[in-house]
This record gives sequence, C-alpha cells and structure tokens, in this order.
Amino acid sequence: MTFVARMAVREIKASWKRLLFFFLCVAIGVAAIVALRSVVQTVRGALQDQARALLAADVVVQTNRPWDDQTLTKVDERLAEARVAARTELIETTTMVRPADPAKGGVRMVELQGISPGFPLHGAVVLQDGVRFRHELLADRGALVRPELLVQLDLRVGDRLLIGDTSFTIRGVVASEPGRRVGAFSFGGRVLVDRAELLGTGLLSLGSRARYAIMLRVPDDSMEQLVRTLRRDFPQQYVSVRSYRGTEDQIGEELQRAENYLSLVGFVVLVLGGIGVWSVTRVFVHQKVRSIAVMKCVGASSAQVLAVYVTQVAALSMAGSLLGVALARLALLAIPSRWLDGLGGVTPSLTTSAVLQGVGVGLLVSLLFALVPLLETRRVKPLLLLRDQVTAAPPSPAERRRLRERVVGRLRGTDWTKVATAFGVGLALALVAGWQAGSLRVGLLVSVGFLAVALVLGLAATGLVRAVRPLRRVRVFPVRHAAISVQRPGGQTRVILIAVGLGAFLILGVKALERNLLNEFSIEARANGPDLFLIDVQPDQAEPLARFLEGAGLQSPARLLPVLRARVTGVKGRDVSLESFDDVRSRGSLAREYVVTFRDRLEPNETIVDGQFWTAAPATDVEVSIERSIRDRFRIAIGDRIRFDILGRVIEARVTSVREVEWADTRAGGFMFVFRPGALDQAPRTYIAIARGPGDAAERARLQRAAVDRFPNVSIIDAREIAKTVEEVLGNVTMAVSVVGAVAVFSGALILIGSVAMTKFERLHEAAVFKTLGAGTRTIAATMALEYGTLGLLAGAIGGLASVALSWVVASRVLDIRWDPSALYVAAGVVITALTVTVVGVVASVDVLRRKPLSVLRAE
Amino acid sequence: MDTHAPPARAPEGRHRRRAWHVVLAAATLAVLAACGTADDPSREAAPRESTGQPSVAATPVADRPRIVALGDSLTAGYGLPSNQGYPSVLQQLLDEAGYRYEVVNMGVSGDTSAGGLRRVDWALEGDVRVVIVALGGNDGLRGLSPADLERNLGGIIDRARARGIPVLLCGMEAPPNLGASYTREFRAVYPRLAKRDGVTLLPFLLDGVAGDPSLNQADGIHPNADGARRMATLVLSRLEPLLDRRGTS
Repeated sequence: MTFVARMAVREIKASWKRLLFFFLCVAIGVAAIVALRSVVQTVRGALQDQARALLAADVVVQTNRPWDDQTLTKVDERLAEARVAARTELIETTTMVRPADPAKGGVRMVELQGISPGFPLHGAVVLQDGVRFRHELLADRGALVRPELLVQLDLRVGDRLLIGDTSFTIRGVVASEPGRRVGAFSFGGRVLVDRAELLGTGLLSLGSRARYAIMLRVPDDSMEQLVRTLRRDFPQQYVSVRSYRGTEDQIGEELQRAENYLSLVGFVVLVLGGIGVWSVTRVFVHQKVRSIAVMKCVGASSAQVLAVYVTQVAALSMAGSLLGVALARLALLAIPSRWLDGLGGVTPSLTTSAVLQGVGVGLLVSLLFALVPLLETRRVKPLLLLRDQVTAAPPSPAERRRLRERVVGRLRGTDWTKVATAFGVGLALALVAGWQAGSLRVGLLVSVGFLAVALVLGLAATGLVRAVRPLRRVRVFPVRHAAISVQRPGGQTRVILIAVGLGAFLILGVKALERNLLNEFSIEARANGPDLFLIDVQPDQAEPLARFLEGAGLQSPARLLPVLRARVTGVKGRDVSLESFDDVRSRGSLAREYVVTFRDRLEPNETIVDGQFWTAAPATDVEVSIERSIRDRFRIAIGDRIRFDILGRVIEARVTSVREVEWADTRAGGFMFVFRPGALDQAPRTYIAIARGPGDAAERARLQRAAVDRFPNVSIIDAREIAKTVEEVLGNVTMAVSVVGAVAVFSGALILIGSVAMTKFERLHEAAVFKTLGAGTRTIAATMALEYGTLGLLAGAIGGLASVALSWVVASRVLDIRWDPSALYVAAGVVITALTVTVVGVVASVDVLRRKPLSVLRAE
Repeated sequence: MDTHAPPARAPEGRHRRRAWHVVLAAATLAVLAACGTADDPSREAAPRESTGQPSVAATPVADRPRIVALGDSLTAGYGLPSNQGYPSVLQQLLDEAGYRYEVVNMGVSGDTSAGGLRRVDWALEGDVRVVIVALGGNDGLRGLSPADLERNLGGIIDRARARGIPVLLCGMEAPPNLGASYTREFRAVYPRLAKRDGVTLLPFLLDGVAGDPSLNQADGIHPNADGARRMATLVLSRLEPLLDRRGTS
C-alpha cells in the first residue's frame, strides 16, 4: 500500500503541470453542473412558488353547487388518503354592492369572495397603506375591497357597504391578492369577506351562481395522485379539480414550458460536464500507458499498477470536483441579483442535490473512463504498450481475416472484471444523472438524441480517417502532417470529434430553443396587448362609444369589431351538422355558434395562405375568408360554398381565401370566418371594443364608471389583472430561460475548451520532434490549425445539424411552440465552433511552439 | 337516439388562441356567469370536424308561416346539437300536433334585451305569425338595470305589435346571489309588461328546469336535451292559443 501511495505522490510531483490541467478540467465540468443545476433548481422553485400563489393553494377542488354530504364525504375520504397538510374553504359569487349611505348613488357588480381563516395557503393578500392582512380584519362584517370599487362608488376605508341587504364595513384596500388564476376574469373587482358572513347574507340560495372551493396544501408526492383520483371519482363536470401544476390556462402552459426547458438545460449541462471529464480522463490515461509499461517491465504487478493510477485519478478528480463546487459557489455570487429580481428576490445558492450530483458525476465519469483502459493494460504485454500498439493502425484488406480471428478471440476472452466494472460505474452514473432530472420525457429525448449523435460522430471519425488517407502523400507539409495526425492511433480524432460535436449539438440546441422560446414569450407578452373589453355594444352605440373612448386616456386607441353569430348548415351543397352530440357534451363550453365578422382588410396577425383576400371593390357575390384550421378540418377548398344560418337567414358564401391567424397576438382578435362587407350590412350585430386601458387603476375605474353611466347595457371586462399576471409570469420565465441559457452556453464552452486544450499533451512530443528536425513554428502551427480546423468544422457541422433536429423535436413535441430553424444562426454556430476549436487547439500549444524542443523531449 | 358517427377528431389547433378566446368567450358567454368558472375558453368557437351527415332538421318547412323565437343562449341551444334546442323540439311538437308553422331560431348566445331590441326588426321580416320573446337572462347575470330591461322588452313588444304580430313573453329570473332587491325588481318586469301591453306571458321560461341537475348541463345554467324538451312543452302550452288550429296554408 505504501508503494501505491508513494508512487501516486511521485507521479503527481513529476508531472504536476499536466495533472493540474486534468484537475482544472474536472473542476470546470463539475462547477458547471453544480452552478447551473443550483440555478435551475432555485429558479424552478421560485416559479413553482409563483404558480402556487396564483392558485393560492396546491390543489383546488371546486363545484358550482353547494357541497352536498355525499360529495363532501367522498372528497374528505380522498383528502385523508393524500395526507393534506392544510385546508381552507372559500365561496365566490357575483353580486351587487352599493354604498350603505343612501345619499350616495351607484351600484356595482363585484366578485364576492368569502374566505376562511388560513386563506391563502400560498402567496399573500397585500393591502394598501402598509396594513398587514389578518383574517380578524373580516370579523364583525368587515370587507376588503379593490381600489377601483372605492373610486366607482365614491367610498373610503371605514365606510359601510351594502352587500345584498347586509351592511359591511370596509376595513382595507387590496393591492394584490393570490388566487388570481381562478376566476381572474370577471365583471367586477374582488371583495373579500368572511365565509360564514357571506353565507349569512342570504345571497346563496337555490339558483344562485357561486363557486364553492376547497383549497388544499398537499405534499408534492401525493398531489398528482390526489388530482387523478378525484377526477376519476367525479367524472361529471360539476366537481373540478386543479393543481398549481395544471396547464389548463396560458399561465400554466408558460410555467410548464419553462419547467421543461429548465430540466432540459439541467440535464444537458450534466451531460456536457460528463463529456468534459470523460475527454480529459481519456487523454490523461492514454498518457500513462508508457509509464505503466515501464512499471510492469520492472516487476510491478497489475494490481499494483491499477491501484497507483486509480488512486491518482480518484484523488485528483475528487479534488477537482471539490474545487468545482467552490468555483460554482463563486459563479453563483457573480450572477447579478437584479437578473432574478422578478422572482421574489431569490438568490440562487448551492443546493445539496446539485453538489452531490456534480461531485458524483465528476468522480464516476473519471473513474469509469480511467478504469476501463487501465483494466485493459492488465492483459497487454508491456512491449506492445511501449510500441504503442494497443490501438493499431486500421487493418488493411489483407488483415481482415486475422481481424476476424481476433474478434472471436476477444469475445472468448472477455474480461468480465472490466465489463462488470464498466457496467457498475455506468449504472451509478445513470442513477446520478436521472436523480432530480425533472421531466423524464425531456431526459429521454435528449439521451436518445445524444446517443444518436455520438454514433454519427463516431462513424464520422472513422470516415474522416479513411477520407484523409490519400492526403498522406500530398507534398504540402502542413496538409500531409495534418492528415497523418488525424490518422494517428490513440483515437484523439475521435475524442475531439465526439466531445466537440456533442457539445455543439447540445449548446446550439439549447440556444436555439432559448431563442424560439423567448420569441414565443415576447409575442405573447406584447406590451400593448388589450386588457379592456367592452362587449354587447349595439350598432347605434358604436359611434358614440368610439368618441367616448377617444377621450378616455387609453394607452392604445380602441378598436370596434362588428360581431355576428352564425351557424354553418351546409358545405359544398351538402347539409352538415358541425358536431355530434357527444362532442358537444364532452366539451361543456362549446358553442355551436361561430362568432363571425366582416371587414375589408387583413389584420396584422393574419396571413393569407391560399386564395386572395378581397379588395375594397364592391362585391358581386357573398364572399367569406376562412381560417386555416377550418379548411384543414372540414376539407374546404377555395371556391367552395358554405351555407350559413345567420339569425334565421340563410346566406351562402363562396370561400375566396384562407387565412392563418396568429392566435397568440391578441391585438386584433381572431375569427374563423370573416365576410366581405356588404352581405351582412343589414344583419343584426353587436360590437366588441378592444383597448388597452389607462395604466392607473383609479383612472380605469373612472373610465368604467363613466362608460356604464352612458352605455348601461355595455359590459366591461377588465382583464388587467389577468393580463398583468400573464405578463409577470412571462417576464419571469423569460428571465429564467435567458439566465440559465447564458450560464449553460458559457459553461459548456469552457468545458469544451478544456477538453480540446487537454489534447495538446498528445502533441508535445511530435511538435518537439518536428522542431528539432527543422520545422518552423509557423509550419507546425499551420499543421495544427489545419487539423483542429477540420475536426472543429466537421464536429460543428454534425452537431449543428443535429441541434436543428433537437430543437425542432423539443419545440414541437415538448414545449409546443412555433419553431424557427434560423439557418443563419446554426451556420454561425458551426463557424464559431470550428474557429474556437482551431484557436484553442493552436493557442494551447503555444508554449510548445515557443519552448525549446529539448526541454519537452526531456520531460517525456 | 344519437345516430351521429363519432367525430373524426382533427388535431386540436394550437392552444394559443386562448388569450383571444377568453375575450370571445366573454362576449359569447352564453348566459354569462359561466365566465369565472368557464373551464376552458380556448375550446370556445373551436370548430369541430364535420362528419358530413345530413342535418336532422331538414324537413321542408321554409314556405310555412313563421314563429320566431327571439332569445339568448337558452333559445340558441347553447351546448346542444341543433336539433335538440328548444325551438327544434317545439317544431317537432307542432308538427306532431298537426300545425304547419316554421319555428325560426333567432337565439343569440350572450344576447341581452338591448341586443334583442336592435335586431327585432330583422327578426320580424317575412310572414311572421307569432314572436316568442325570451330575453333577459343575460341582463340578470350581468346585473344590468331592471329599468333598462323593461324599456328594451317594451320596445320589442311595441315593434311586434306595430306589425300586428302577437307576442309570447317568457319571464326570466335573476340569480339570488345578486341580492333580494335586484331579483325582486327584475322578476316584476315581466308581469308588469304583460299586463300593460296585454301580451301572453309565460311566467318563467325555465320553470321546473332551473336548479334541477338532471335537466341542466354541467355549467348549471344551460338546460340539457331533457331540459330543452321541458321548455318546449312549457312554451307550447302558452303558444297554442295564439296559433291557428291546423295552421294556415
């Protein structure tokens, strides 16, 4: 044992520079894993907290009828099974409120919420003027109201408010409340009262419209199960269950996308870190073969040799991993805190799982890739090792037969120790990688892609070695020697190709996804999206309303769209009914009537994909433009006639164009059917006004009040709260995605630079010999540039192309976003990869070029 | 009963239409309150695959004198196939009883009395013998003023009477959660109008249907097929005195 320790120390002393490099490369790989996964976990945690606050609970079970005993018993039973940590009940209804003081006029529709102690289970009710929310505020008929209501009814905190016939005292003003995600969309601001007192108002009786909700805090591991069971128990739609992870709405979708992206990046960086450690270990061990041979020649046993090097690798990779953890900690400190401001002031800190995982990958990968070649040396004669024949030159056709024999022989003499070791360590590695991986699907996709690309790169390496063979006879020295170098045994070509190719694949893939995702978010978060909708505007009110809105301080001018209800009763002369009963029933909210409009131009969010949109010229025929999905589903072609029933009138229209509507862009709305003006001029219609209302809450409230006074039948939907929430969520996920993406690319690049630079050690000797033989620094540099350039270009091209496939699959299958291949972007990525590999390859060897050859040769 | 082939589901469009459909949903919201709890507005207005089979209500009735059903989603048959809304059932009942009328469905989901007033002229063109006015449900759900409801319905009745068309006025109730004073005022509008104008009144269109889970869709607002049948029977009972026995021809 002392021999092993002594030898290990001696070796470290002798080639400390080289070892230092190995050690640093491991550290960088591990640091990347630890830092990025910590960031990912922190960000993911913050996004989850936000999702919980939006629901005010982990799980909400709700119904539109009062709970009956039977339902409640069943629910309670399930909740008992799910180890619910906290529970509170809530009732929500719409009602009219008016000031208790009869001198003050006005009546407003509000969304009345009766809450119980314990609400909210997540998030916080924030009151204005620094008042802290306590449930006691609601005692003795207290109410908390939104600021708009005070403006609309000319009330102040302390005033009394009539809810139904019951008088409540306004105790505070709600600045923001959790649970906005459910029922965020309403005709009035929210008013909070105590649940028992809401029941006491007599508002809830037979025929009342209300939402009865049970809010729950549930351990994460039993949540999905609970939601599934409850949904199975109540297949009728009147009891619905949703969890904060639900993707029933846009917010849920965005959060899910961000989550998937984050777990993708987390996994990718794990793989990248692994590649980094693998490539340096490989080079490191390859270097040691000669020493091993010498040791064996002087009588060291295989076990001793193995022990020396395994100790060495283990010690170094352990130290490297620990250094990596320290580096990760520094890196986290370096992330500007304002990047993560939106996420409620979280600061990413090292998470235990990230540290364990990083160190685990560092140790296991280096051991795996050190043990296997080291175990191989046990059975090889030292002489062969010295002659560098472990990996012989590619077989000539004449050698084929002998090769076959060798393969058979190898199979017979399989080294089971080696196989078992590789298997064991590999399994441990897979476990480490799979631990906390987040989305299994993403992990699988990336793994499959990863293996496929690795295979292609391996084949490409073989192909390249073959392809450059003729170049060995070229007269130009750099070309000839670059070709020879590519073919050199030792598999360095393969190492660089695989490491760089996989790196480019993953980094460019992540980057492309990031771009597509951010693009998606920016469309959805378009700052001037409408948030004020006025519905049921009658034709004779359209003009006056438009004038009214002009002077209302809107952030963007209002648009009035005529809307009509139409049914499709025939296509191409056939009678059709557009859906079956089951279909209608399975989707309770499906209306059979289409909302249609007419206009003489396209909206910015529309593009014509077939036919031609009408010009302003008068029509001779009734024309309609259909949305692409209508064409695709009903197989309607240009020129077909569709028969509509518009309020009892049958109108036949010819399809003259097919539009594709960008649904995410809400500024101009979207319609399945757009008619050419003329045919529907006389038909009854209403208008919808769409606007971005004033930013100031009080001003919005005044606007709404004035509008209701002047146009009593017009209902105003203030979607500001939900728009704001969506914008916030989008802002946060955008930031999370950018930060994580940036860190991933940066650390990935570092890892790859490390592994390319490491290959210089294979060059030292050769460069020194060339120099001794009179080759100029320039010539050697050119040789290297040529070799690294070729490898970088090939690896970059394969990785880049594969990254296109990766981003497409993930974008369309997992994230469900539009995908833009951006050829230019990939091309740039490939060029940058090639240049980086070339520059790093040559620059890493600068000292070789500068130094006197003799010193290098001696060190060998 | 349901002879439709299962729909060949085309791939669902991107869910991205959500934001806009929240708006359309609100506008279309049949009888509104579904709003806050509307399960998934994106499904609103999403077209379904046509199975191309002939529509069931294809009896040649177009040349008959008309009965116009002016109303909101309760008339439009929100959430039901077109042959199961109350006007279609009413048509069947009339046909079975030997009347020769065409029942025209002039229901618009989400429509209020104000909207009804604006489109009554369009609705009454042609050979209209009776108009069934079933509006106000959305006024109630949106908490619009009962005074305006009365004015609008009165206007509709006036237009019909100006053309000499008899009116069957169907009463609605506002949900109790809007408060006792509101529902009281709201409920009083219909008998007052009926009395003033001497029109036939069906006191409550959803009598025996509202509040019964077995007769309503899951939203608790819209009747299901059985509920619609009940409505049609109810309407028919008040409609018959206004009709010519055996119709005209």
